[in-house]
Amino acid sequence: MEIDRIAPGLDRIIDSSAPFDRVVHGIHFGEGPVWDKRTRQLYFVDILGNTIYKWKPGVGREVVMHPSGYADGMTLDREGRLIVAGWSSRNVWRLEKDGSQTLLATHFEGKKINAPNDIVMKSDGAIYFTDPAGGMMIPGMVAEDCQQYLDFNGVFRISPDGKKLTMVVKEGETPNGLAFSPDESILYVNDTRHAHIRAFDVKPDGGLGPGRVIYKLVGKEEGVADGMKVDTEGNIYCTGPGGIHILDSKGTLLGRLMISEHCTNFCWGDDDWHSIYITSHESVFRTRIKIPGIATW
Amino acid sequence: MSWQFEKVAGPYQGPTIGVAWDGEAVNFTVPNEGYIYRLNPTTNATSEYRRYMRRIAGIGFAPDGDFFGCQEGSRRIVQFQKDGSTRTTASFFEGVIHNHPNDLCVDKLGRVWFSDAYNPVPPIGIYRPPLSHASVLRLERDNNRAWRIVRVTQDTSAPRAVLLSPDEKTLYLSEGEAGGPRHCELRAYPVRPDGGVGDCVSLVTFGIDDRGTHRGIEGMCLDGDGNIVACCGSRQSGPGPMVIVISPKGVVLESHPLSFDMPMRCAFGGANLASLFVTSADGGLYRATANRNGLQRK
Repeated sequence: MEIDRIAPGLDRIIDSSAPFDRVVHGIHFGEGPVWDKRTRQLYFVDILGNTIYKWKPGVGREVVMHPSGYADGMTLDREGRLIVAGWSSRNVWRLEKDGSQTLLATHFEGKKINAPNDIVMKSDGAIYFTDPAGGMMIPGMVAEDCQQYLDFNGVFRISPDGKKLTMVVKEGETPNGLAFSPDESILYVNDTRHAHIRAFDVKPDGGLGPGRVIYKLVGKEEGVADGMKVDTEGNIYCTGPGGIHILDSKGTLLGRLMISEHCTNFCWGDDDWHSIYITSHESVFRTRIKIPGIATW
Repeated sequence: MSWQFEKVAGPYQGPTIGVAWDGEAVNFTVPNEGYIYRLNPTTNATSEYRRYMRRIAGIGFAPDGDFFGCQEGSRRIVQFQKDGSTRTTASFFEGVIHNHPNDLCVDKLGRVWFSDAYNPVPPIGIYRPPLSHASVLRLERDNNRAWRIVRVTQDTSAPRAVLLSPDEKTLYLSEGEAGGPRHCELRAYPVRPDGGVGDCVSLVTFGIDDRGTHRGIEGMCLDGDGNIVACCGSRQSGPGPMVIVISPKGVVLESHPLSFDMPMRCAFGGANLASLFVTSADGGLYRATANRNGLQRK
């Protein structure tokens, strides 16, 4: 990993000598990393491999579920259960402690949703997920039904009681990664095709105000707007050309973590939340930052 | 007598490509728009059959009415269900995602024969390497009704249009691309009882002039006598865009020059299958009243 320092603010975030380890390799399309503080292990998916894995330091990689329905983004709820953006299975579901699955979202206003891509949980238990169409179209990620029914690629919210699905963003082409600011007053959503990040003010009822573009991803290197996270000081991290772009809370680029493989997503991890676990098509990497990330439940 | 074509739909955004008659209407694809439309042959009114069907090239019906399409940007054959859903089939051949299906036909057993061409336009999403060959492949169901793929041709590098003879004992294949290094040609392969094919015969060979390789056959269908009705040619080189009628032995029986460039596919339709519908790179759907009728497959 090389560090492309753009602004002095980056020095507060990462050392030039930060460690960089490849902890998993030999997968086909890594995604969906989330750190489980209870068991001190990482969950991630291999989309093309149709598998959900867990990885634990000193133990290694084990299969959690195969087939996974080409699952994509994942997070944890307050009880430590995996919440999964089902991607090609076109749903959002929860993995129960007994191994069973509970469907949380499949249809909106009577129509099958597109292909849930990435997912985040708010402190009140509401789930937000992006719903682009890629999981119906990308070769090899076979949905049983590849017909799109909704006339938009949006962002949805599942109410804390799991009973109500609300469309919170309608305009967009390929909404992908999403993350809350530390105080949860802003939801950031990136868009792969538009190569930008938008910020939406979060309303008291969980709805969102109008989006405003705060950053355009540019660069000739491999990589697109995909996974996105925020640290405890509000700095925004987003995959993009070259690896991971690091911005301050206003969207000013501070620098980039240049990674040789195509990065797809990442999460904070380890006991102090100072580690970043980065998925690429082929691997999972780990590095360290000086500011802790926002902890997962 | 030369056939006179009139534009009955379009222009759309980008070319029209696949065209197939379903017994009541003409279905045709507009890949760049992601639409499949249906045209009522009596009124020329069009209606939407499917939307969000990105990059559908060739389409075709099975004798039992099953409807298939080449979703080339997603590197797969899909099946359009009557309930409005669209089912995927098999995507992998020997562990590798196959190439970009371009054209298809369906035999009486419900097997889907398709040309699996390379395409310079990248697939949707992430890049995955193509097969080491561009062949005619065939989708067929195993004992559990799951789709699997078998390879049919071993000697092709740029398969385009595919068609089966009325008795399904011959596979017609257009091989070669305009601007490619070799002559385009129409080949006939004997189909063996086991579903494989024997050595091919070249029925028609297209030329090369100082402007380049003549554009060969991009789409074809059968008339009621078993002759091949084919779209070919372009203004880039050779004698220009046309529809030609070829006997099963390879004799060119008729040539019908076209006023529009780059004809894509053709299908008979309408009353008594007496009209020939042709799609085009200019985004139109054209219709001619032909002095031939299409083959009514049983």
